[in-house]
Formats: sequence, C-alpha cells, structure tokens
Amino acid sequence: MAWYHEVAASVAALVGRRRQDVDMDEEMRFHLDMETQRHRGEGLSEREARRLARREFGGVERHKDDTRDERGASTFFDALGDVRFALRSLRHRPGLTAAATITLAIGIGATSTVFGVVKHALLTPLPYANPEGVVGVWSAWKGFDRTWLSYDEWEGWKARVKAFADIGLYTDNAATIDGDSPERVRSTLMQANVFSILGVRLDRGRGFTAEEDQPGGPRATVLSYELWQRRFAGDPAILGKRIQISGIERTVVGITPAGFQMPLDYSAGERTDIYFPLATDAKNEGALPGPEFPKGGSNHGYYGVARLAPGATAAAANRQLRDIVAELEKFGYMANVGFHAFVIPMNEQIMGRVRPVLLVVFGAVMLVLLIACANVAGLLLVRGEARRRELAVRVALGAGTKRLARLLVTESALLAGIGGAMGLGLAWITVRLLRSNAPAGLPRLTETSIDWVVLLFALAISVVTALLTGVLPLANATQLALSGELREGGRGSTVGRARLRWRQALVAVEVALAVVLVAGAGLMIRTVRNLLNVDPGFRSDGVLTMRITTPQVFYPDSVRVVAFWDDLQRRVAALPGVKRVAAVRLLPLASEMGDWGLGIEGYTPPPGQGAPGDWQIVTPGYFETMGLTLREGRTFTAGDDMNGPLAMIVNRAFERQYFAGRHALGARVRIGGSDSTKKYHIVGIVDDVRHNALIGTVKPQFYVTLAQFAVAPGNTRRLMSLVVKTDGDPKRLVSAVRAQVRAIDPRLPVSEIRTMRDIVDAAIGGQRFAMETLGVFGLVALLLSAIGIFGIVSQVVASRLHELGIRAALGATPMDLMAMALGSGVRQAMVGLVIGILAALMLTRVLASLLHGVTPTDPLTFAAVVVVTGLVAVIASVAPAGRAARVDPNTVLRVD
Amino acid sequence: MPTESRLGPRAEVVRGTLEMLALKLLAETPMHGWGLSLKLREISRDVFDVNQGSLYPALQAMLRRGWIKAEWRMSENNRRARYYRITAEGRKQLDAEIMEWNRTSAAVNRVLRYAFSGA
Repeated sequence: MAWYHEVAASVAALVGRRRQDVDMDEEMRFHLDMETQRHRGEGLSEREARRLARREFGGVERHKDDTRDERGASTFFDALGDVRFALRSLRHRPGLTAAATITLAIGIGATSTVFGVVKHALLTPLPYANPEGVVGVWSAWKGFDRTWLSYDEWEGWKARVKAFADIGLYTDNAATIDGDSPERVRSTLMQANVFSILGVRLDRGRGFTAEEDQPGGPRATVLSYELWQRRFAGDPAILGKRIQISGIERTVVGITPAGFQMPLDYSAGERTDIYFPLATDAKNEGALPGPEFPKGGSNHGYYGVARLAPGATAAAANRQLRDIVAELEKFGYMANVGFHAFVIPMNEQIMGRVRPVLLVVFGAVMLVLLIACANVAGLLLVRGEARRRELAVRVALGAGTKRLARLLVTESALLAGIGGAMGLGLAWITVRLLRSNAPAGLPRLTETSIDWVVLLFALAISVVTALLTGVLPLANATQLALSGELREGGRGSTVGRARLRWRQALVAVEVALAVVLVAGAGLMIRTVRNLLNVDPGFRSDGVLTMRITTPQVFYPDSVRVVAFWDDLQRRVAALPGVKRVAAVRLLPLASEMGDWGLGIEGYTPPPGQGAPGDWQIVTPGYFETMGLTLREGRTFTAGDDMNGPLAMIVNRAFERQYFAGRHALGARVRIGGSDSTKKYHIVGIVDDVRHNALIGTVKPQFYVTLAQFAVAPGNTRRLMSLVVKTDGDPKRLVSAVRAQVRAIDPRLPVSEIRTMRDIVDAAIGGQRFAMETLGVFGLVALLLSAIGIFGIVSQVVASRLHELGIRAALGATPMDLMAMALGSGVRQAMVGLVIGILAALMLTRVLASLLHGVTPTDPLTFAAVVVVTGLVAVIASVAPAGRAARVDPNTVLRVD
Repeated sequence: MPTESRLGPRAEVVRGTLEMLALKLLAETPMHGWGLSLKLREISRDVFDVNQGSLYPALQAMLRRGWIKAEWRMSENNRRARYYRITAEGRKQLDAEIMEWNRTSAAVNRVLRYAFSGA
C-alpha cells in the first residue's frame, strides 16, 4: 500500500467531503432500489420488498458512518467533533471558562515574557565571531577582585601567554560630534588589534592600523552602523570623509556591522557610536591617567580582551598567567599585595552578574505557572463533579475510556490554547513595557523580543499545561467510567470524598509554591532595604546631574574651560530653588574609577608597587553639594585655583593605607607624570564615598580641583558632570539649568540628565528587579492560592451541607459550624505552609549571590511568610465558612 | 422467499476475506456495489452472512489504498451506477493475498492432517 494514496485520499476527504457524501447517498440508494426491484421480481409487494431490502442492507446510517471513517483523515474529523463539543461545554460555563483561561493566560504570558528575556540575555550569542574564544583579561590584588590592566601587564601577557592568540586594550568614554547640532555619543578607545580579537568583520572600510594606533598617528575613526545611518543617512561615500569630533578632524576609515556592541556597552546599556585608536587619542579624550601609555605597574586603567589560541582554553590561560605572575613577583612586580591576573570568558564577563537574577526570576515564573496549572486543574475537578452524571451517561451509552479521555484532554487543550493565545498577547504587551522601562544595569534586556523561539516555547508550555491540567480530571473520569456512577444516585458522597482529597492536595501544593515565592520576595525586599540603608558617603536626595563637555575646538586651553565652569556655576547658583552647585569628573555609582600612580611623601611602596589613588576632579563646592562628610582640615574654596598652592583632599581609605600612624594633613603628594616641583598638599580628609559599588572595599581616593589639575599633572579635563543640589524635586530645574548652559554657549551638548536618586536606584537595579518580579509573582501566587482555598472550603461546605444541617438541628452553634468549615481550609494551608517552608529553606539558597545583609534562611523573613500566608488562608476561608454558619436546618433537611 | 431464516448459524465474513473476494471478482470485470454483493452471495452460496451494507466501507477502504478505482457509468438498466475496477496495485495485492491464503490453508491442512494421523 503506497503512502501517497493515503495522502491523496485524506486530501480528497478534507476537500471533497460534501461531494463524497452525495455520491455515497446515491450509491446506497441505487443498491436498495435494485434490491427492492429484485425482491419484487420474486413476487413481493413494493412495501415488503423495500422493507426486506433495508433489513438485509443493515443500518444505512451506520454503514455511511463506517464508510466515511474509511475515507482517511478520520482522526481529524473526530478531533474536530471533540473540539466542537468541548467548545460547547466550555461556553456552557462561562464563569469557570473565564477563570481558567485568565489564570492560564497569566501563567503562560508571564512565563513566555521571562523566557523571552532569559533566552535573549543568556542564549543568544554575542555578536563576535566564535564568541566562546573571546575572554576578558583582568588583574586583581588585595581588596580588588577584578580590576584593570596596566600597560606593563598587557606587554607581558602579549609576549608570554601562549594561550592567547592576541590580547588588546580598550576603554570607553564619550565624544561630541560637532556641527550645527552637536551630538554626544558613547565612544570606545581601542588598540588596533581589538576588532580582530573580537572577530568582527566591518560592514565597510577597515579597522585601525598600527600606524594610527600610536602617539601622534593619523587621526582615524570608525563609526557604528547606527550612527552612520542616523547622522549621515547611510552616505555611501562616507569612507575617507573628514568629520569633526570633539574639536578634532578625523578621517572615517570604517563602519561596524549593524548591531555590533563592545563588551562594555552591555553593562552601560548604550551602544558605542564612535571608535578611536587608543594610543593616539587617549590623552586627548581624557580617558587615561597621565601621558599616553604610562609605564610602571601602578597605573591600572585599561580593559583587557584576548582571543584564545586555537585549542587553548580559559583554564589554560589562567594557569599560564599564574606561572608568569609568580615569576614576576620574584622580580618584585606588584609584590606582597596578593597580585594575580586571570581571564573570564566574555559571555560570563558580560552576563555573569545578571545570570543569577534572570535564573531566579525564571524559576519564580515557573512556580507561578505551576500554581496556575494547579488552580485550573482544581477548577476542572470541580467541574468534573458537576458533570459526573453527564459523563456517566456517556459511559453508559458506550463511550470507552479512551473516547472519554480524548474528550477531556481536548477540553483542557482548548483551555490551554485559548490561555496560551491570550498569554502571548500579554507577553507582547509586557515585553513592550519591559523594553521601555528596562531596569538600568541589566544588560541585553532591551533587546528582548517575541520571536519564533519564544512562540515555540509558549506553544510547548501550553501543551504541558494542557497535560498538567487535564490529567487529574482525566484520572477521575476514568475512575468514574469504571465505578458506574449512574448507580450511585444523586449525592455520591463517598466517591466525592476521593475527589475532594485530590483538590485538597492541589491546594496544599499551591500554598507550598506560594510560600517559596513569598519567602524569596521577602528576602529580596530585605536585601533592597539593606542596600538602601548602606551609607554611600554622599546625600543623593535633591541632586540633579548632567554631563557637559568643553571641546578643544571651542575651549583650546584650561583657562577657558575653568572660566566656563565658574560662569556656569555662578549662573546656576542664582536660580531659584538651587542650594549649591559644583562639577565632578565621575559621578559616584554611575561609573567605575581607575587609579593614578602617586608619589607620597613619607610612604615607600613595597618594591615593584606604586601608590595608586583613584583620581577625582571636582570644582569647589562639590563636597557641600553632594553632602560628603569632612573629617579633618577643610574643603576646597575659590582660592584653590590655578594660581593658588596645590591642594588635595583624600578619603579615609587613602589616609589608612598611606598614613598609618602618621598625620596625613599637610603631607605632600606628587601626581605621577607631573614635574617634581609641583606637589600637592593634603588639606582635608573626607569620609569614604562608595564610588564603584554600594558594597565592597573602598579604594584610596584623592580629590583635586579642575583648575589645579590643569597645573599638575597638567591635563585639561573636558568631560565633567554638573551636580546641582535643589530644595525640592530636582527634575523641575532641568530646563532652567539647560537654559543657562545655552546662554553661555549654545554649541555645547548636554547629556545624561539624571538625578542622583536615579543613579543610586540603578546601582541596585539587579536586586530591585529581582525584588519587584518576585514580589509581583508572590502576590499572584498568594491570590491564586487564596482562590484555591476559597474553592475548597466552598466545596466542603456544599458537600457537607446536609451534615451541617443535622448538626445545627442537634444544637451546634453557628460558631461551631463555622469553625468546622474554616478548619477544612486552614488545614490544607497549614500542610502547604509546612511543605513550602521546608522547600523554601532549601531553595532560597539560590538567591545567596543576590542577598545583602540577610541570610537565605533569615528567621524574621520566614516568620513573616508564615503570618502572611496564614492570614491569606484564613481570609480566603472566612466567606464560604460564613455560609456554613448560616445553615438553616429546615431548608437543608427538606432538600431530600 | 429466496432467503431462509435470518437466525441461521452462519459465519460473519471477515473483512480481509471480503476484500480478497471482492478484488477477485473485480479482477474479472468492473462491477457496481450491488452487482458485487449479488455475485458474492451467489459464490459463497449464503455460507457467509454478508451484511450487504458492510461492503461499502470495505470498498471505500480499498479505494483509499489505491487498490480499486470508482467511476459513474450507466448500468444495464440505464441508471447511473458507481462502477469499481481493479488497479495494477490491486492486482498485486490480490496475488499477494491469494498466496498468503494458500500458504495459510496449506499450513492448516498440514496441522489437521498431522492431528488426525497422530491421534
């Protein structure tokens, strides 16, 4: 038998169904007519002949059905019938259908959204060739578990680490594209080999040459595809064009492919739009401390990226680095500080911090889906109760167990299908919301979209949902088919009890799952509270910030730059609502800060080590504006200008590290790269500011004024952030402050307008995101469990109405009856609570990496969970239990 | 009355056998359903209780498998009738079934012979 006949027959059956029916009717009519004629020929009357013919033919309709079944595609028509039937019976109970589909829609929608996020963030490869061969290279020493490379280290690793095919340095910054509408964009400074290490093939043109990547080399630039499209309208003749960036003319030599991002772009949440060679432009862009590529171990300021040699692994690279570092230590390089160097696979470097958050959220949403399934299964069970007689009749009429199963599975599949479709709609909306409100600091979230993989996933979980929700009612129905329900009569209290037990188990499971989610949410709430209570060392309330650059083309020297800031500060200070105003190089918690080698009087660093300090440049008034606490000495004043004696303020970590047991105040410090006659005096000591992160060690840090930084080491800092302390909502002042910038110089672009509050919030974005999602999921879980408990108590009351009536007649008080009913719900909740607490005690450990100041088994949180869940259980039970209390023995007993 | 009591003890014809017999008949000449049922009754001499209607699902099944083809033609008494004719694949199938049948009956015969001689 050839398969193509079957296929053709199926197609014919699907397409020509009506015509085939007509043919069949005529054929059978012909048969009966001919038989009748034959019997008449034997002498029977017309009526008798026809009757005999019919009898010998058998049931015409049955044969027609059988014939139809032989046409092919019969499974399809059966399923169609089942669907039609299921639709009818779902329409019959709109309340239940709505409850079930909405529950499933929430479950499937939430799960699909989270899957979309997780899939995009964790499963979509980075836009680099063979991204698994790209590693980030890092240095670390006492107190700093992941920090930048120095130039010496790069040189050493490049020559010695055999596991590297190549290693390059890069860093990020911002640049202004000059012109009629100046635009501030994110920039990357990179060594010539970085593009090839990442394995990116430029969309057009080329990357940087070795000649361009050296001090004084030709000024070349590469643009992002997006910038090229946006600002240059995809100009096909862009290569070779000269454009002015931050006051300097540069030749466009290449365009990156669309969608390309540098590793740092992911955590910055912004794409690099413009690329410069590192060596040529480092100083000009103010990105690096001191002269271009300062040698000496104490300047750590570059990000390292390497391509593993063919066949080499990250582990091999780490082994080789360990050996080389051990050797270096013997020569005294970075000795006695626990210096080491290591690589991290790039995917982990970018996503490592986010992965635990996303996995926790994904786990949480799966729990919500499970609860939704349990709830719908419970609803279908109740419905099974109501349909017992209908199903029993079907069994009596000869529907086999298989047929019954198909019917019920079709129903739950239909529910899951509708729920899945609605869920996808929901996911589409939430993804849109997520993209526009992506929490800061969570890379790749904004790239989330509903693609076919997410669609497939939604389909798959819908199928699983259909099975999960269908299997219990099915087991029940099968049992029913065997037990011969019809004989049981109206009340069926004994078989009903078995089903009740199933529902009770479901409710206990729901409560248990909800407890896990609520416990997780509770722990995250405490973590976020703890983080918010961490003293960052500054006061964030009421502070408005914005970035402003003073390009060389308009402000050729430091005198003019300082004058601009003086002028701007004076004007902004005069605005109503402004209390203080200042400017700063890097806003705390908004970016990480590198260090600069120092010569500190009276401090001799161990051999091979420098005395690095994180360098901060401010204008006078900064400490007051940001609310830093002065410990000793004084803050900066207007007198700390270009002509005044060089004044430096250091943090307490600086004092502790370099002045143990000595007096820091008045000590002299030379900033690496400046001439030996220009030394700063320490004039003040301030409390530590948590600049790089809310938690972790604070490094030694020093502050100098913008004006004096231009004297020693003699660099002009062009990129600064304005900070404005206001007495109300800082956002109100945005346009007024911008107007002042425009009034001085309309050519200057203003970017990154944020409040310090936003910045602090972004710093705990991961934890906050986990808290919010776990919180929402926990609430949904509690709500669903409450519905479950409500249902179970209602059912208990309904099924025991008779018994309650008798008890009432025998003198039980309403309180007694209510207590009985309440007990039935609360008991399930208690079972669920106990199981849930045990599960949560084990599961919350996965949160450990996200928690701060609270253990995964925090007793206070768990106590709160018990109270909350218990309360929800009682509240959900009260209404139906109230019905038990109002039982009137007369009405109840008269029902029979 | 040409037929005897409907309660007589007769074997219900097996679907496979019915198909084989129908194919065999159609191999000789194309026929319509009624003609086929007449012929079947005649051949089997009422040994098999051919419920006439059950012929049609069997024909439909053979159509689906491509063993026979159907077409509307005028019958001998000038009425439109649906004629079935065997296809090449149907003939192959028939040969296979006859061979199978012969094998089975030979085997059964052997068993019976052995059973009786051994007794």
